[in-house]
Amino acid sequence: MNAVRQFRNGVISMNGREWSLLVACLLAIVVFAVASPHYATSGNAITVLRNSVELLLIGLGMTLLLAMGGIDVSIGIVMGLAAIAIGRVLGADGNPLLALVVGPLVGALLGCVTAAVVVLGRVPAIVGTLGLLGVYRTAVFVLLGGQWLSGLPATLTNLLAASVLGIPVPALVIASAYLAVWLALRRTPYGLHLLAIGNSEEKARLSGIPVVKVRFMTFVVSGVLTGIAATFYVATYRNVEMSIGSTLALDAIAAVILGGTSILGGRCSLLGTVLGVLLLRILQNGLLLIGVPSLWQPVVTGVLIIGVLGFEAISNRLPLARFQRARA
Amino acid sequence: MKKLRNLHGPALTLALLCGLWLIVVVGLAVLKPSVFNLGTVTTILQFSTVLALVGLGQGLVILAGGAGIDLSVGGTVSLSAIIAILSLKMGLPPVLLPVVCILAGALLGALNGVLVNRLALLPFIATLGTFFVYSGTALAVTGGAAQSGVPAWLLLWGRGVVMGIPLPFLTLAIPCFALAGLVLMSTAWGRWIYAMGYNERSARLVGIPVDRVRLILYALSGALAGAAGLVSLAWLGSGRPNIGQNLELESLTAAMLGGIVITGGRGGVGGVFAAVLLLVTLKTGLLQLNINTVWQVGIVGALLVAVLLADRLSQRWRS
Repeated sequence: MNAVRQFRNGVISMNGREWSLLVACLLAIVVFAVASPHYATSGNAITVLRNSVELLLIGLGMTLLLAMGGIDVSIGIVMGLAAIAIGRVLGADGNPLLALVVGPLVGALLGCVTAAVVVLGRVPAIVGTLGLLGVYRTAVFVLLGGQWLSGLPATLTNLLAASVLGIPVPALVIASAYLAVWLALRRTPYGLHLLAIGNSEEKARLSGIPVVKVRFMTFVVSGVLTGIAATFYVATYRNVEMSIGSTLALDAIAAVILGGTSILGGRCSLLGTVLGVLLLRILQNGLLLIGVPSLWQPVVTGVLIIGVLGFEAISNRLPLARFQRARA
Repeated sequence: MKKLRNLHGPALTLALLCGLWLIVVVGLAVLKPSVFNLGTVTTILQFSTVLALVGLGQGLVILAGGAGIDLSVGGTVSLSAIIAILSLKMGLPPVLLPVVCILAGALLGALNGVLVNRLALLPFIATLGTFFVYSGTALAVTGGAAQSGVPAWLLLWGRGVVMGIPLPFLTLAIPCFALAGLVLMSTAWGRWIYAMGYNERSARLVGIPVDRVRLILYALSGALAGAAGLVSLAWLGSGRPNIGQNLELESLTAAMLGGIVITGGRGGVGGVFAAVLLLVTLKTGLLQLNINTVWQVGIVGALLVAVLLADRLSQRWRS
């Protein structure tokens, strides 16, 4: 009844995992600040936060997917496709409202496609989304026609770089997305259903949970969040390049796993994902600044995934963990 | 038509694949008749060798069930080729190059097996992690540059052709498939693999060493990827750190098209062999028609999705 216990958690509830992530973030900052004179500057802090925006939004969706026992490896390229759509609207001198809406819309649409294949077609999520990843990659190349979409008008940039009551718009959007996902997860039947499906799809189905509906909706929600991420991407960089989003899915999966969401389903932590994203981006930025070539980044991320999961697997077998489980 | 309906299992898969292959070939014949010569056949078989070896390993891992999948194959191909060529530069006797290449692949595969077996990680997440570790390491160690220095005798093997058939295909891909088919059909090991793929619980209960078989299969998938790396070295004459790109997608598509069921326990390697030839014929055909190579990954991905959906539909249709 892990799921029920999580139901009572607060918006920001810190347990051991979240505290240790926070400590790891601070530790990494201290180490990098000592190692590189360029590290501890306000400019760099803003860069790290700025680079986290898309991953935070996509990570929220990926948390839901993994907690449900699903996955989506095509999500980075989905952001690319949504970004292309936004770019086309901007390039055609469309109105800003349309530019704001088109991203989430394309994201939702592609989420429907993924859900149709994975949920309705009952295909394992990893294989289905890998196939779609191939299709979407070709789509990005074909839509871009071999060249970057660049020099887009600053319509969105001005809109999203503003601040309300001194709080920058990206922070506001991320906070409201976090709150919305948290509410859905912890205060509605949907959240309980999601975690139950993650625990055991078969048992969830037998107890009358609308498994297909919940799974379908989760893929669409992840798509919408990715579409919002694409809007921020276009607003910030004002161009779309060929390799857009190629490592985002891996980063998101790593952040979610770091955050303590169990890929075996049934346990998830939104705050853990947020801290996982920050830790990942702090590490990537810090390693770059102390002179590690960026080619090593996927290696570091991969090692983090395997390391965290391996550590969890081993520590679960220690006598103390067995004792605690027996007591629970 | 009636005869077709009576076909099922591997025979149906093979019949469908042959049909698809004929469509591709006839399509190509109509659009560009000039491609039909022995040279094209040689090219197709040459390109097939790497995918055939990797697809065989992928197929066996999936066949053994337990949600088995090896997403790291592409990274293993790249990294084992790079390890082999770099150790040659560090003074390894050239004679040992093939051994090192295959051994490196086997060790990388065994690491997957340990993660899946001992740490009980889900195969897709463990091999997704190692995929990025392996392919990333291959790129980062070399800085993305191709590594030259393959000995001349290896090129002789890699580029040799006997009666239109490339030597690596003749001496490596065909024997590997024949051996795997033989083991699956007529040895206890083959029965074990099918049994644990079909129902792991009962396989354990009847005393099949499930964990050992699985570890060996992951190591074997790695070793076959290492062999594919060796073929790429011998054929291209240099170690390219991105040679394994998209192989995880292509090998999965080959295994699924070849009739191996994603949940394990059903399918055979003959279908995988046919599917590899179909895929490579298709890719070569697209290349001959001057269609941009970026279409290849999309078409392979669409094929993967289509074959998985078709499998589900046919199950519903039958029941």
